[in-house]
Amino acid sequence: MSRVLALLVSLLLALPAAAQSVVKTENVRAELISEVSQAKAGEPFWVALRQTIRPHWHTYWKNPGDAGQATDIAWKLPAGVTAGPIVWPTPMKIDVGGIINYGFEGDILLLAKITPPADFAGSTLTVAANANWLVCDDVCIPEEGKFSLALPVGPAAVPADAATRALFDRARRDVPMESPWPARFGIGPLGDPTLIVDAKGLKPDTIRGIYFFPAEWGAVANMAQQTAKVTPDGIRIPLRKGDAKATAAPTQISGTLVLTEKTGDGEHRQAFDLVAKLDPAFVPEAASSAGAGPGEILSFWQALLFALLGGLILNLMPCVFPVLAMKAAAFVDLVGHSRGEIRRDGIAYTAGVLVSFGLMAAAVLAIRASLGEVTWGFQFQSPIFSLLIAYLFFIVGLNLSGLFEVGGRFAGLGQGLAGRHGMTGAFFTGVLAVVVATPCTAPFMAAALGFALSQPAPVTVAVLLAMGLGLALPYLVLAMTPALQRLLPKPGPWMVRLRQFLAFPMYASAVWMIWVLTQQTGANGVLYALGGMILIAFAIWLLRVGAPASPALWARRGVAAAAVLLAFAAALKVEDQPATAATAGGPASGVSFEGWTPFSRARVDEALASGKPVFVDFTAAWCITCLVNERVALETRATRRAFEQTGTVKLKGDWTNRDPEITAMLKEMGRAGVPLYLYWASGESHPKILPQILTEASVISELTSHQQAKR
Amino acid sequence: MPKTIVPRRSFLAGGAALAFAPLTARAAADLGAPAPAFVGRDSNGKTWELVQLRGRTVVLETTNHDCPYVGKQYRSGNMQALQREAAAKSVIWLTVAASAPGEQGYVTANEANDIVRRNNAAPTAVLLDPQGKIAHAYNATVTPHMFIINAAGVLVYKGGIDSIASTNVADVPRARQYVRLALDELLAGKPITDASTRPYGCSLKYAPS
Repeated sequence: MSRVLALLVSLLLALPAAAQSVVKTENVRAELISEVSQAKAGEPFWVALRQTIRPHWHTYWKNPGDAGQATDIAWKLPAGVTAGPIVWPTPMKIDVGGIINYGFEGDILLLAKITPPADFAGSTLTVAANANWLVCDDVCIPEEGKFSLALPVGPAAVPADAATRALFDRARRDVPMESPWPARFGIGPLGDPTLIVDAKGLKPDTIRGIYFFPAEWGAVANMAQQTAKVTPDGIRIPLRKGDAKATAAPTQISGTLVLTEKTGDGEHRQAFDLVAKLDPAFVPEAASSAGAGPGEILSFWQALLFALLGGLILNLMPCVFPVLAMKAAAFVDLVGHSRGEIRRDGIAYTAGVLVSFGLMAAAVLAIRASLGEVTWGFQFQSPIFSLLIAYLFFIVGLNLSGLFEVGGRFAGLGQGLAGRHGMTGAFFTGVLAVVVATPCTAPFMAAALGFALSQPAPVTVAVLLAMGLGLALPYLVLAMTPALQRLLPKPGPWMVRLRQFLAFPMYASAVWMIWVLTQQTGANGVLYALGGMILIAFAIWLLRVGAPASPALWARRGVAAAAVLLAFAAALKVEDQPATAATAGGPASGVSFEGWTPFSRARVDEALASGKPVFVDFTAAWCITCLVNERVALETRATRRAFEQTGTVKLKGDWTNRDPEITAMLKEMGRAGVPLYLYWASGESHPKILPQILTEASVISELTSHQQAKR
Repeated sequence: MPKTIVPRRSFLAGGAALAFAPLTARAAADLGAPAPAFVGRDSNGKTWELVQLRGRTVVLETTNHDCPYVGKQYRSGNMQALQREAAAKSVIWLTVAASAPGEQGYVTANEANDIVRRNNAAPTAVLLDPQGKIAHAYNATVTPHMFIINAAGVLVYKGGIDSIASTNVADVPRARQYVRLALDELLAGKPITDASTRPYGCSLKYAPS
């Protein structure tokens, strides 16, 4: 029965169209359809080749991928009438035995814009086309069709029937929109491009299924797996270079970015067309491409080896050098002590390094468990951390300069302190070396760290410990080998001078950390950092003046403590900076309130009391679906006009930072997150919840239908 | 210590390059690199080993006789003509039948020979590669996917048979004949103009993994 009905319906649907506009092959029902039932001279209109593809079969996108062929339409139009290029729907990735194809399944529309000239004279416009397409499941069949659609031409364009218009509306929603974010790419050491979509502040846990469809063959290999990541800087997609034999690297890569966002009540697939420009300053580390191809993933042992080597090389890095120089001086000081003491010192230093790496591994694992993902050097994204390290460098520098002495081996150069204190000192020198080495490890150890962070916990720990061992190794070997120790110079007054000299690299390191800080907070960070340093120096000086046991000592200690507290309060102040910087940031990073009033319950009530309709848009800077809705439905000219004509009060709630009032409202509406669109028609006390995916037509009809009903 | 303020990017790049230096070699079929070695058995039971062919130019052609893109080249006579031209210049032409058993294009030795006879084709041999080993080694994705290996065993061409991706026989004379041009340039001792082109055709029917 239902089958008969379906047949009848399909016959009825087929009837109004001219018979030759439909071509039925074994695998595809293809039809040329028009959005207007009558055209007007000089007024462009849309037509489409509709392909209804046999289940499990597919046709191809403009870049068909590793095999296959894009559908081709050759238009045959009366003189003066032009056809635009095919506007493609968002493709899907079709894996045929490991060969990646880009295409379509099901029911799709390939849109094209037809423009009749203003002086078009005929009474009928015949849109004709020869189309070729390849349709495949396991096997491929080339098919073709000749289509012809005769449209009357009249004084006004007449829209087609509602069902056809709905098809076009649906098709337009499936066309990727222009990317709201700029994109760029860098070429890695192996020639592989890494794409960065500068969408800042997205939330990694709500976005999945990121895939970049290159628009053409050549620049990017289709077959390689893509391991895209959402980072604080945007979406990062390591790609594999394609087969085009280019003498120079490509200067731009175009394509379609697809991702799926989890919103308050479901998942939405979004697609963006983008053109990425070559950014010569961006050189992605090889780690990004390491994950791209199956042949390049590091084995466990390779990663351990690289980590060990990397740790060794760290000893030569600028950031570790000051600490190491200190260590070397301390070591020279040990010369003449018993061999056992020297050995214990070496072991204590190594232990300090390994314990610190172990702690960092634990921190990484803990963060990974709670956030799902972590990038190395994450601690350096915190301005507080940068500031504290700057302070640390500064204090160590003051110590080396001789402003103060600390008990223990740590700063006990030239003091000839006992071995027992020395062990504690050596241990903490190891800790210090690791703390300051971290900024160097991030870029340098990219491959091994990238591997470590993506592995199960024991492997992560093993790789990090191997790196620590590498860092400690030269000193450990020196401590264990008396033959090498004999090569060291004899102690003498030069050691004091060396110590004082070593203060300068420490100050330089502090300067560098302050520079890092300015990158994170802007110029104000410098003020707080330098002010804090003066306070610290002042506190140390206070503690050093006067007689050791005088009653004034306590007063001085109190003032010193206050000064130090103030210095650390500066750190907290610094933490505030990036938040304000973000709100003042570009359009991609913040929610725009232009034309909208910030949401509050009171404002809703007030507007309702005055009998006005109210529209509320709950959004967040990291919500892509919200952004898309705003672009395609809320901020179009027609919708703005509809808002204006209906006198609708437009309120916007920014949930970027989990505003509690908005959270309460979402909960009340049974939602866990944004987007949420509420509409109170004039005189209504309860809002209507609009769908999470808006279209211009749906919003306008919502606004105006109530208006008309009221009249 | 001026070293401390070295721009971060410079040691970023240097470090990455250093850390990865031993890994730069790739196993895949890269132009200008030694062509992946293979051993294959042909439809007459003879064994072909790439290293034994050093000193000769070798053409590899993946095939699936039921693929319309392969059909276009054989119906037009283009593929057979190329094979004969190659033979006249003592180039070894190996047609590789890489469809897995049960997939479109899978052939037994007898069927392979029948197809050669029916098409009046002239390859040096038809290699039977039902496990897709040779095809995989060359990262072949389509039929026909073409590869040229020079006398020194270096891969010098990979890509499509010609420039017009279609199944229309009428396109053959209009297309740029990449393989013929590459062979001519190679044998004349000139660099190959289009050494990597877009391969087009049916997806290669590898065994489901």
